Amino acid sequence: MMTRKEFLKTLAAGATAAAYAPKGFGATASKMKRGVTLYSYQEEYYTRTMTVEDCIAEAADIGAYGIEMLPEAMVPDFPNPSDRWVDRWHDWMDKYRTTPVCYTQFQETKLYKDRELTDAEAVGNMVRDFKLAKRLGFKVVRGIAWTPLLHIEKALPYAEEYNVKFAVEIHSPIPLLGERIQQCLEMIERTKTKHFGFVPDFSLFVKRPPRIERDRKIRDGVLTDKVAQYLEQSYAAGVPFEKAKEEATRLGYKEVDNGYGTYLDEVYNRGFFGTARNDPKDMLKIMPHIFHVHAKFWEMTDDLEEYSIPYEEVLPVLAEGGYDGYLASEYEGQRFTQDAFETDSCEQVRRHHVMMRRLLHEI
Amino acid sequence: MFEKYMICTRGFKNVYEDDRPAGFQLKVRITYYRGIPVSCVESFDVTVDGETFSPDNVTFSIGGKSFPLTQVGKAVDVRWPFGDPATLIIKKPGGLKPGIHDIQVVETLRISYMPNSRSVATAKKKVTLVI
Repeated sequence: MMTRKEFLKTLAAGATAAAYAPKGFGATASKMKRGVTLYSYQEEYYTRTMTVEDCIAEAADIGAYGIEMLPEAMVPDFPNPSDRWVDRWHDWMDKYRTTPVCYTQFQETKLYKDRELTDAEAVGNMVRDFKLAKRLGFKVVRGIAWTPLLHIEKALPYAEEYNVKFAVEIHSPIPLLGERIQQCLEMIERTKTKHFGFVPDFSLFVKRPPRIERDRKIRDGVLTDKVAQYLEQSYAAGVPFEKAKEEATRLGYKEVDNGYGTYLDEVYNRGFFGTARNDPKDMLKIMPHIFHVHAKFWEMTDDLEEYSIPYEEVLPVLAEGGYDGYLASEYEGQRFTQDAFETDSCEQVRRHHVMMRRLLHEI
Repeated sequence: MFEKYMICTRGFKNVYEDDRPAGFQLKVRITYYRGIPVSCVESFDVTVDGETFSPDNVTFSIGGKSFPLTQVGKAVDVRWPFGDPATLIIKKPGGLKPGIHDIQVVETLRISYMPNSRSVATAKKKVTLVI
């Protein structure tokens, strides 16, 4: 039996280990780190209940030291913030001990009403963002999932010049082992570039569509309980898409796609939020090219689980592959609940991080 | 998204020309998760107390710059920041009477990185006008 002194020593040692070194999966220490995209706090920022600094402070308070951000949402005078603001940004990074990890970039392809950007303009758009990413200290720039490879290749010299890695998002419904990823890998192989890679988004691994999205569509009158149940059951029973669509229409379903997909699309793996058919293990095939991860979530339940995405299947694959980057929590449920419920993004992200701490064996 | 925040109470008032009400002003916010170039605004369909206003009679204004709504497609160098109210000025001789008004706005944006995508958001709000 140990003495009280010995017991306290063990306790202290244990506490120290938990504070500074996440224990690993089995014998391997996971090198993954926790972060957050400030996009998660979009509603609080939008309503001005949180400032950018408040978002960073909140991230630090939950140990999410890796920061991702949409400069188009949160940087004043985008794309040319004042030096004074940029200095403040770096002061916040020092004050809260956070690190700028990923710059969420957008191609303004349809800037003009009557035409798409020319190739030169498209590359110019990317260079604009590389410059600002460098000013703000970001090392990874997240690009839109389907950014044309032609543009990416032309932008590579600039990525090198500004010392950033450009990583396109792999988001549902893109197949991890499909043509797009294959083409990207071929380009990386051919150019030998170290400045192009991927940001997998966990929407890729959805097991069941977010119920909050279904409920919102019901409240909006584009879906009924009956149709929703029918679609979910028919998908589970293997009824083909067209047949399900026919039958749902007979039951009164008339949803119009406004660009984000219908509930039918979601259930049948064609949408951005719905059932996916990717296997988390497929990430192993592209592991050296994963520069960052969007730890997507829509609803953290009272049991501290994500309703749609099986994190307990996904995180071990990243650990197995030796991923040593950040898991950036990306809370996106607010758009489905804000019409009827009060949003508390901070609470949702906190729940997300407790789940991740458990899965990372930090607690 | 953000439909419930689209129509602002603050800023709702008549606009005067030569001391007579020539129209009214309504502030609106973006129903999207980032700021956009003003050229990506497609339309605002404003209905007040059942009266719908033609885009020809609407001006869109942000950051001190104004454009006829029908011309916003040209404003590629002006940004509408995320969360910042933009001002719609609607021509209506006589303006609106003081009291509670039923406002409906349909905000259509061109989501420039999504293929074939328009964001169409509808908001309804009762707002009181005083002067």
